[in-house]
Amino acid sequence: MEKYWNPVLETLPREQLQQLQLKKFQKILKWSYENSPFYRSLYKDAGLEPGDIRTLDDIRKVPKTEKSMLREAQGKEPFPYGSILSVPIEQVTEYRQTSGTTGQPVYHPETWQDWEWSAESWAYALYAQGYRDYDRVFLPFGYSVNIAFWAGHYAAEKIGCEVVPGGVLNTEARILKMKEIKATALMATPTYILGMADVAKKKLGLDLPKDLNIRKITSAGEPGACIPATKKRMEEMWGAKVYDQVGATEIGHWGYECQAQAGLHVLEAFHLVEIEDVETGASITEPGKRGSMVITTFDRFAHPCVRFDSKDIVEWSPIERCECGRTFRLLKGGVVGRADDITKVKGVLLAPTAIEEVVRDIPELGDEYEVVVIKKGDIDDITLKVEIAPDFKRDASAIEQKLAQQLRLKTGLRYSLEFHDYGTLPRYDVKAKRFKDLRAKE
Amino acid sequence: MVKDYKVGDMAEKIKVLKETATELKRVSGGIQAVDRNVDRILASIKMLEINISDLVDIGIEHREG
Repeated sequence: MEKYWNPVLETLPREQLQQLQLKKFQKILKWSYENSPFYRSLYKDAGLEPGDIRTLDDIRKVPKTEKSMLREAQGKEPFPYGSILSVPIEQVTEYRQTSGTTGQPVYHPETWQDWEWSAESWAYALYAQGYRDYDRVFLPFGYSVNIAFWAGHYAAEKIGCEVVPGGVLNTEARILKMKEIKATALMATPTYILGMADVAKKKLGLDLPKDLNIRKITSAGEPGACIPATKKRMEEMWGAKVYDQVGATEIGHWGYECQAQAGLHVLEAFHLVEIEDVETGASITEPGKRGSMVITTFDRFAHPCVRFDSKDIVEWSPIERCECGRTFRLLKGGVVGRADDITKVKGVLLAPTAIEEVVRDIPELGDEYEVVVIKKGDIDDITLKVEIAPDFKRDASAIEQKLAQQLRLKTGLRYSLEFHDYGTLPRYDVKAKRFKDLRAKE
Repeated sequence: MVKDYKVGDMAEKIKVLKETATELKRVSGGIQAVDRNVDRILASIKMLEINISDLVDIGIEHREG
């Protein structure tokens, strides 16, 4: 049996891999410039022409994008994808969307070719994790509007596996089905991998390593398999190898563990990953320094992803060549955090951007705001400071009511609200720090 | 055993596949059952280009592995 999905690409010497990446970057940049009103406007405003990018170093001249820009662009025509869409809308064959964890979901169009690309990129990962045509792969997820494990399903089919969709079954039924059909592999989030193990043991009285045949698990959707203690717990509960896998709807699948489990391989034939210092923006190319990932996706054309600031905190591994023989570079410990940390307040996950969306959706409020979280005894206390736009000062009471109601609706939390005179809250030119978590870190 | 992967030769065959599929669509007379299936074939051919043909663009005609 072959060791690699594509031995030619996966073992390409570094210099040639970088040549390939430059060519592919130039191609997607030109495509985006010529076919997406969003990108054309972004680059024209920056005075950038696609031909300006001649070396890998030149790539840093290209303006970055981020999720808020995608959200803004999707408010434009054509509905619902907006001005990033780079193909005639008739060519779109699949609708996906982000989970909306950090605010309004981003809609994602796929042409059939882009969808093939998604399955192809996953095939690289699954093959590296040992999936083969003799595997019976169980997918216990809700087949819905979010991308989740959809591409994993199609990639497993592409490899030749027998794929079993465990869609609307409940957890107990899923476990029993895996047992009944002797499934050999599964894909799920780490939370669910642990949850299923708990149900199997406590409700069904099963000893998973003995009673089931699952020997490899692909863990994606949230951190877990990159956290050694969590990975160990999952592997012991299931008697299976657990592999981390990372992707995002806007980016596609971009990183995976191979059977050596020595870190997260970046799928470098499909992406260019840059790491930037969170404070200075300086490029980090050496191991041992954490930074925010900026990523470009090659050969995915309907909704291009060029220099997307993913806010994922990552660092290069000191391992120069993985024992698996792949030359795709490794990240140490996978995605280790988020630059715009979503935080838990009063037990509720809170994205600062969700507050921003509420504040900026109320025209009577000024643009600036500040959120302060403190601990009062054992209880989190969250204060939102806002400014009332000058013309609306007399309506303070009604605005307060509207703001409190929207915050409760969109974030599920109650706030102490403070109204400040217009122009008195701090202003920022770059790197605004509007979210201040003053709780002592454990 | 070391294998010699003939990247250039494979790229030539992929090119012929693409030309054939494109030509089939050109002469289909708009039959949807032909055009839509050709679109899917072309999407798969694109994956072959990504996996093989794009390497020829950086001067790789064959590789040992």
